[in-house]
Amino acid sequence: MVSPAIALAFVPLLLTLLIRYRYFFVLFYRAVLVRVWRDCVTGLSREERAYQYVLTHSTPGDPDSILDAFDVWCSKVEYISNIGPKKGKILDRLLMEQSPLTVLELGAHCGYSTVRIARALPLGARLYTIEMDQGNAAITEKIIRLAGFDDDTVELIVNPSDEVIPRLRSDYNLERLDFVFMDHWKKCYLPDLQLLEGCGLLGKGSVILADNVLFPGAPKFLRYLRKCGLYEWKIHRATLEYSTGIRDGMAELIYQGIK
Amino acid sequence: DREKKRRKNSRRKEASSSADREKELQPRHKKTERSRRRSAKNEQETKRSKRDEEGRGDDEENANEDEEVRPESLSPEELEKLKEAVDEKKKLIQSLRGKPWLMKKKLVTLRESQEFVEKYEGALGKGKGRKLYAYKVMMTKASRQWISLDTNVSSIYCHFGSSVASYFIFLRWMYGINMILFGLTFGLVMVPEALMGRPYGTIPRKTVPRAEEASAMDFAVLWDFKGYAQYSVLFYGYYNNQRAVGWLKFRMPLSYFLVGVGTVAYSYMVVIRTMARNANESGIGDDNSFNFSWKTFTSWDYLIGNPETADNKFASITTSFKEAILEEQESRKDDNIHLTRFLRVLANFLVLCCLAGSGYLIYFVVRRSQKFTLDGLENHTWWERNEVNMVMSLLGMFCPMLFDVISTLENYHPRVALQWQLGRIFALFLGNLYTFIIALMDEINLKREEEKIVKFNITTWEASLYNGTVSGNFTAPPVTIHPADVPRGPCWETMVGQEFVRLIISDTMTTYITLLIGDFLRAVLVRFLNYCWCWDLEAGFPSYSEFDVSGNVLGLIFNQGMIWMGAFYAPCLPALNVLRLHVSMYLQCWAVMCCNVPQERVFKASGSNNFYMAMLLVILFLSTLPAIYTIVTIPPSFDCGPFSGKNRMFDVIQETLESDFPAWFSKVFSYASNPGLVLPFILLMVLAIYYLQSTSKSYKQANVELKKKLQMVIYKLV
Repeated sequence: MVSPAIALAFVPLLLTLLIRYRYFFVLFYRAVLVRVWRDCVTGLSREERAYQYVLTHSTPGDPDSILDAFDVWCSKVEYISNIGPKKGKILDRLLMEQSPLTVLELGAHCGYSTVRIARALPLGARLYTIEMDQGNAAITEKIIRLAGFDDDTVELIVNPSDEVIPRLRSDYNLERLDFVFMDHWKKCYLPDLQLLEGCGLLGKGSVILADNVLFPGAPKFLRYLRKCGLYEWKIHRATLEYSTGIRDGMAELIYQGIK
Repeated sequence: DREKKRRKNSRRKEASSSADREKELQPRHKKTERSRRRSAKNEQETKRSKRDEEGRGDDEENANEDEEVRPESLSPEELEKLKEAVDEKKKLIQSLRGKPWLMKKKLVTLRESQEFVEKYEGALGKGKGRKLYAYKVMMTKASRQWISLDTNVSSIYCHFGSSVASYFIFLRWMYGINMILFGLTFGLVMVPEALMGRPYGTIPRKTVPRAEEASAMDFAVLWDFKGYAQYSVLFYGYYNNQRAVGWLKFRMPLSYFLVGVGTVAYSYMVVIRTMARNANESGIGDDNSFNFSWKTFTSWDYLIGNPETADNKFASITTSFKEAILEEQESRKDDNIHLTRFLRVLANFLVLCCLAGSGYLIYFVVRRSQKFTLDGLENHTWWERNEVNMVMSLLGMFCPMLFDVISTLENYHPRVALQWQLGRIFALFLGNLYTFIIALMDEINLKREEEKIVKFNITTWEASLYNGTVSGNFTAPPVTIHPADVPRGPCWETMVGQEFVRLIISDTMTTYITLLIGDFLRAVLVRFLNYCWCWDLEAGFPSYSEFDVSGNVLGLIFNQGMIWMGAFYAPCLPALNVLRLHVSMYLQCWAVMCCNVPQERVFKASGSNNFYMAMLLVILFLSTLPAIYTIVTIPPSFDCGPFSGKNRMFDVIQETLESDFPAWFSKVFSYASNPGLVLPFILLMVLAIYYLQSTSKSYKQANVELKKKLQMVIYKLV
């Protein structure tokens, strides 16, 4: 019905869309298609495959080599959304500047960011990491112990974050959190932030670092930040982990306290 | 009027005191960014409202001023100086917005300048032709307010920066030109023929043929501009070739020809005058010295009144610093130049392939449509009949996006990349347009072949008509035939006009539909799907669209080119264009404010104004070429239009000179158009152009040297 010439006229549009959003297509291929195929073929979950690789390719007790092994696996073999080397450097720098004594991490996934934070902690600091999923938590535990961090430095809590945060003060005797790293489900950023505020675990100068606020994005979180006025916030712009073309950002919040 | 003055002074004092009170209140609270911005916006609004007040009161002042300065007491030199001073103050008021001064200083300067202008403007006009001057002032002010787009444009300027606002200013200017063209064609061509010419149905060329009568009122036929639309004042074919019509003895064919020439002449004049004016204000031009200092001190746009735009501007300034640092590093590094060159050559090759592909596609489609017309257009679907227009509009919309994507290979500075982009889009549109014209020429030739056959047929038909009644008698009673039954000659001019009208309409429809789908629907989806989608639609993949300034400006320029090309054959085109621009202004303004986000790279469109004007001039030249060619070489159709029966269309001028003017005038004219006189005149003009060019070059040189001296002085001081 429609003539072939008009159909041909749409070809430039298709080419444009294909080229402009090529990174998204590549990401889709790596994160979804390859993962589904490997799941069917090997029968292990993605995190277990990652753990096997890290086990064979890194030195136990050396956090740097574990992180490098993770980076190699994520960029060459498959895709897991850890924080990645570039954004990890921003995290390291913030930790060095802040030197927090009590750090909370929401969403450990494989333990990459846990190892990264624990590596940069000063002496006597303690990291509490919360992971909801049982399988991931098992892997995280193994990775943390492989890296050589003992129970004094890192404590893994296996429960959803909105159940743990109200109990932090009572069960774990925490008065104030100096640094919070959020990397769990994006739609939980805002409720968890409000829970932290409500429980009074944030003091003046506490730093909260929220990852992936631009892609996949946490719009309600950002909207809340702009409106509430309790934080001095800025967004560190970088690219998505293990991908060069997709823009992403980490939001750094410094709690100012209620006026 | 003393009372009026007192009233106005009190009003002014009130406004200024309210502004002062606001300014005093603000420091009481903590001066956060937002409140500072709000106060700036308020002051801007009070300034604007003050200016509006002054504007409304100004014309009264001009008309009734009787006191203060007596111009008779001033000598002519002082009058001149006064006039210059008034002009300078006016320019200062207009450019006050863009100056990087403190708000207080701006307000004070504005007040002083306005008082000065008020005091002396009327006085100057008093001396010579005061009424005319006052009237002119009032008309400019009224026209400013009538096109209420002014307030919209200033809010766009606030939100989106100068480049997007410059598009709307350009659009408004174009609207003004089209209004004048519409006035000319409507008033001098369409209205006389409609009122004083012979009405519909009296002669064959003004009647729908019997065969088409049944379907002449159908919407589909009218949308294609056939049927009743074709046989009306909208197209060339309706006009009668009677030399003088009505009781005014209005010279219709002469007026048609002169309006056609006059539209082109007026357009040239306006474009060149605007270019000259822009060249005056075009500014210093960026030199590469003190790059980082310029960026540090002059990057901020003090007219931003919106937090989102401020964030964007902040981000873009940071990015531009990063880019500049990177550029410095790269210019020192200077490696891998072979890769860059290869990539640039590759990109140009891909662009050429795309241009060739689009040219071939249009050629193919045009050939197909010629085949369809030979078959008879009724056998084909609507899609097939309008294929050419659709393909041209679609290609014009999609290829620039492809060029944009290809240009990321080239790794140019964004301003250079924009110029390449504009050049490529220009080549694309030009190629498409000229392919279209070549196809049209083929059709014109076809119609002219048909004409010969039809002429022969008409003579045989007339003979057959008289054959039945005459039987040897010479005095045969005239046979009355209804005009609809007379066989018609083909009318290539109307056909050309129809093609252009259809092209413009399909282009407009495509633009609006793309706007609605690509901007509005996208914005609605992003806004409302965002609540239940896995990734952030606003920051990530579709997000809101940005306003494509260069694409839109070029589209506007090319549409205007098509109007200039077709206006001679379809006098309705300027009217159509006025309607289109009117709707476009408000629709695009709304779409920009509602669905678009400010651009990421907010760079200044300073040099672009003259660039767009230059392109408009080139298009004007290129689009009047085909029209002039057809007027000069092709004889007009014998059966339609105001020039039917003549050998060439410009013969009407000769005819007018012979019959309407006294004999000595035509003698003078024939002497003046002697090649012996014309050639030296052309030579003189060429010499004058060369002289002016060399003087302007020497002035520029002097300017550059003065600038260097100034730089050295500043350097020594610092």
